[in-house]
This record gives sequence, structure tokens and C-alpha cells, in this order.
Amino acid sequence: MSSDRWLALSFLAISVLIVFVWIPLDTESGLIEKERRKFVIGDALAPTITGAIIALGAFLTWLRPGRGHTISSKNVIWILLLLTIFIISLVIVRYAGPVSAMGFVDGYRPLRATPPWSYIGFLLGGTAMIGGLTSAASRRLSIRGFAVGFAASLIIALLYDLPFDDLLLPPNGDV
Amino acid sequence: MGLWEHIVAGVLAVLLSEPLLGVPVVILMVSGGFLLGITVGATPGLAGPMAMAIALPILISIFGFSNDALLPVLGFLIGIMKGATVGGAVPAILFNTPGTPDAYMTTLDGYPMAQKGEAKRALRIAHFSSASGDTFSDIVLVVCAPFLAILVERYLDLPEKTALLILSLAFIASVIGGSVGKGIISMGLGLLAAMIATGEDFYPRLTMGQSNLAEGIPIAAAVLGVLILGEVFKALEDLHRQSGSNASPEITPGKGSALSRADLRRLFPYVGRSALIGTCIGALPGVGSTLAATLGYTTAKRRYIASKPDYAPDFGDGAAEGIAATEAANSSVSGANLIPVLSLGIPGNAAAVFLILAMDSIGGFNPGPSVFRLGGGIGDSVMNPEMVMVFGIFTSMFVANALNWTIGGIFMRSVGFMARIPKERLLPIVLLLTLTAIYVQETSMAAIWMTVFFGFLGYGMRRVGMSPLPFVIAFILGQNLEATARQAFAATGADPFFLFNSPIALAFILMSSGVVIYNLRKSAP
Repeated sequence: MSSDRWLALSFLAISVLIVFVWIPLDTESGLIEKERRKFVIGDALAPTITGAIIALGAFLTWLRPGRGHTISSKNVIWILLLLTIFIISLVIVRYAGPVSAMGFVDGYRPLRATPPWSYIGFLLGGTAMIGGLTSAASRRLSIRGFAVGFAASLIIALLYDLPFDDLLLPPNGDV
Repeated sequence: MGLWEHIVAGVLAVLLSEPLLGVPVVILMVSGGFLLGITVGATPGLAGPMAMAIALPILISIFGFSNDALLPVLGFLIGIMKGATVGGAVPAILFNTPGTPDAYMTTLDGYPMAQKGEAKRALRIAHFSSASGDTFSDIVLVVCAPFLAILVERYLDLPEKTALLILSLAFIASVIGGSVGKGIISMGLGLLAAMIATGEDFYPRLTMGQSNLAEGIPIAAAVLGVLILGEVFKALEDLHRQSGSNASPEITPGKGSALSRADLRRLFPYVGRSALIGTCIGALPGVGSTLAATLGYTTAKRRYIASKPDYAPDFGDGAAEGIAATEAANSSVSGANLIPVLSLGIPGNAAAVFLILAMDSIGGFNPGPSVFRLGGGIGDSVMNPEMVMVFGIFTSMFVANALNWTIGGIFMRSVGFMARIPKERLLPIVLLLTLTAIYVQETSMAAIWMTVFFGFLGYGMRRVGMSPLPFVIAFILGQNLEATARQAFAATGADPFFLFNSPIALAFILMSSGVVIYNLRKSAP
């Protein structure tokens, strides 16, 4: 069976789950409701039609499968590699600042708009993200990639932080 | 107030805008956007929509959310959109690498011309054709958009507007990409994402109890994730898989003669025909500049073979007509693709998506047929501010054209070095810039995670041969479609057949089915 037919079957299954499981469990009103003796469209109708549209697309893909497009095991490995880089770098973005300010009684929150504290998470996480992605793309871990990452992160941080007082760099709006 | 007063007010809104560095701010922003657009277009791996996505939150931070912000912000984005198309020809001619996908056909004749020592001449031809196509397309936009909007406003009520939105989505899903079925799946996923937490009940539907989803999916997270991150993930993987560089050697523009009158006379029919093709294609939602360039090139090739003198090079061997046909066609899409945006509120391509996103973020301007209503529906003596804004946008487009004709050529010949920046360094920086742009807008790490999720979705779509554009356009139109359908249902006294009772609505629904069936039969193996 061609990869497009597997894709069609997957989306057919997804549309069945959407229409018969997700929508009934996760919407308050039904397809059509009666309010003050008038019929009105309920919150479930549009998502149900959308589920049917996805099923129609899956059916048409099954009818006219193409060739040559598929997600291979190499693609899955690439996705996992990217996901690892994102998890590491975004965890650094989120927690590097608070961890570095652990010695302060009030913690990171009062310092989150004060350089250099406000930059720590973004610079370290940004460096890890750019360096990691550059290394993944060029298949070798290079110090130069991380150096470029640090310089680029610094420039981006300054680009947003210096001219605009009201903008917060990641993660300073969450802490 | 009549039409003329609105036109004058729109032009003055641009020319007399607040001066910055001694120049009206709108003109300054159009100029900045145009030069940035050429630079971005000349950089393989980057594209106009990427620069628009990154620039938008910065621009909103600078100009805020007031009505005065709209023209400078849109002016900058329009400048990028136009500049990127011009810039795409530079690496196509000098490096045999298209800067933007729609410049691929330019490589076929541009690079052979450069190899023969005519790089500068090839760049001049690309610039002349691009500027001509762009100007023609803008004139068609100014003439057609108001008439289309007036027709829509006069003849279409709520059921017909619902049917028109369905027709647009069916058209986009069917014509983009090689598979109708995948296009419809992509559209369905976009509609589904648009429906999360956007119902009318107290409980935010389809949120699975997640508080981060209770406000709905941020529009920037979904659009930028699927369009920008998805593309970056795929491009980085392609670099990862490449065993070595097989890039063509760079050729410097060097010296070259200006185009003579005889050259222009010879090229003009090719430019004119391609401009017409590009404009017609640009006016259709979903059909992009790459198809316009391909059609323009193949049409020109057929005509060229029939009339070519023996000594002239063939298409593919350095024919100036090949560059002219491609560049005129892809540039003439940029004006015409604003016809459905301004008259119907329907974005036709990725650049138009970001213009709608800017209008939506800033507020005060709702693209659609009502913007061309004299008096704004209040009274004939009142000025419609949205109509003034539209004529301001038209003026900004002509300012960009004027820049294209005057400094565009010189600037495009000086940005060839951009193609030397390694993609594996540039793309991760673009990715971090995009994520930062989303964070400063949403101020939430959850928005970044959502963007990454949509990035993987966009990557997966590209890998299985599913175009992400129907997803994005359906996501943007989804709420509007549901709201219009709810109103139409209520206005027709809860008639479940409201889409089939009016002849116009019925015609639109039949056309929707027709376009799907036609494209399905066309794609038969």
C-alpha cells in the first residue's frame, strides 16, 4: 500500500476520533440548540463539519494517491534531534535566570527587568539553540557555531530590549 | 464625501504623514521595507514572508496599536513584499541559485547570460521587467478592487458571503499543491485549529481543560509556526543530508551596457504578456507567483521559438526574453494578490496573510467589501476612514514602484554578496528571531511551545507533500466563516438550507464542488 494511502487512513482515523470522541467530550453545546424558542447553531456543529472535511480529504487522498512523499525513519530521527535541541535550549531559556538568582532572598522576579539578569536565560538558551541547530545542519559540533549563536542572541536581545521599555525578552513575562 | 475626496485624503495621509528624519514617515517606512525586501530576496533561504513575520512585532512595538500606525506598518510590509520579488533575481543570475522560489525560471537564462559576461545586462533586464510587471499589477489592483468590493456589497447577503468564503477555501485547497485530498486535509486542520476556544458557550470548546488554550491558539504562533518554522526545519534537514556543496561559481556583475530602445521594444511584448498572466493569477486566491513565473516563461518560450532569428540564443541558453517573461510574471502577482485581500478580506498567498495579520493586530481596518462604501454606512457627508486607508495603501504601493524604478536597479546590483551567507548559520538565527518576535507579542513560553508544535506540523506537511498554505488561510478565515454562517442561519429564521435557497449562494456552492471535482479529475494518475 502506498504511503499516501497510509496517510489517508491515518487522517480518516483522526477525523473519526475528532467527531465521535473529542467533540462530544469537549464542547458544552450540541450541533443545534433551542434557545428561547429559537433554533441556534451550537458550538459542536462547526468542529463536526470540520471533522467531516478532514474525512473527505482523506477519502480523496485514498482515491488519488500520489507518489514520492513520505515521512521516513530518517525524518523521524531528524524530528527527535530537533525536539531534543528545543527542549534543552528552551529549558535553559526558562530556568537559567531563576537558577542564577537563587542566592538572592527575593529570587529572580524583582531582577527580571534588570540587565544582566534579564539577558541570562535568553543568551544562554539562544546560544544553545543556534549552536545546536547549526551543528545539526552541518553534521559537526563547532565552537564557531555556538560563538555565532551567542553573538546573534546578544544582537537580537539588544534589538528588542534597548529601544523598547515595554517589551520583555523570554522568559521574563512568565517568571 | 465623494470618491475624489477619499482619494485625495488617502494620498495626503501618506505624503503628509508625521516627518521622521525630515521625510514623511510612511514614505520612509516603504523605502526601508523595499530595501530590506531586496536584501532578503537576494538571500537564498530567506523569503519576503519571513522578513514580514519578523518585522511585524517590531513595527507594532514602534508604532503601537493606533490608527496612525496602520499606514507606516503596512507600508513597510508592502515594501518588503515588492522588494523581495525584485531581489530574488540577483542570486538566480549571479549564483545560479534562486533567491526566492519564483525566481527559479530566471536561473535558466540569467546564469547562462552571466557566464557569457552579460551579468549586469541580465540584472538590468530582470529589474526592468520586474518593475514593469509590478506597476501594471498595481494599476489593475486600483481599478478592479473597488468594483469587485461594490459588487460584493451590493449583491451578497449573509448566506451568499458564507458561500463565497466556502468557495474561496475550496479553491485554495484544490489548486495549491499537487493533491486535492491533501489540500482539503490541510484546510480542515486549519479550520479545526481556528475553532479551539472560539465558540459562543461559556466553556472554551476543544481545549481539553488546558488553561493555556483557553484564549485560543495565538494567530502568530500558528501562522509563523507552520509557514516559517516548518520551512526552516525542512531546509536545515536538506542541508544536513547534502553531502557536499555543488554550488555554481559566483559571477560578479562587472560592467555592462544599459538597455537600448531596441532592446526594450523587443522585450516589451514578453513583459506585457507575462504581466497580464501574473496579474490574472495573482488575483486568484491561493495561486502563487511560482506558477505565474512558470506559465509566463512557458508561454514566452512557445512564442519565442516561432519568431526567433537564427543568431539569437535559445530559451535556456541565455535568452533575455526568458528573464523578462519570468520576472514580469512573478512581480505582477504582488499587486493583484491584494485584490481579494482588500475587496473580500481573503488572503491569497503568504505575503497577503501577513498584511491581514498586521491589519488584524493593529485594528481599525477590517479588509472586505465595506471598506469601499462611501460614507462608511453612516451618511453621505461622512468620510469613511477605512476607504481613506485603502487609498493610502495604494499610494504606498506606488511609492514603492517609484523607488523600484529609481533606486531599485542600483540597489539590487549591490546585494549579490548576500548569497554567500551560509544557510546553516542564517536559518537558526531566523528561527530564534521568529520565536523572540512571538514571545514579545504574547509574553508566554506556552506560545513558543505552540509555535514549535506548529513548526513540526508544517515540517510534516511539507514532507508528505501537503501544502501548508490552505492550513494558514483556513485558520485566518475560520472564525469569520463560522460567525457569518451563524448570522446567516439566524437571519434566515433557522433555515438549515440557507446556502441553497439563493441562486448566487447555490451557484457558489456548486462552483465549490466543481472546482474540487475538476482538480481531482485533472490529478488522475
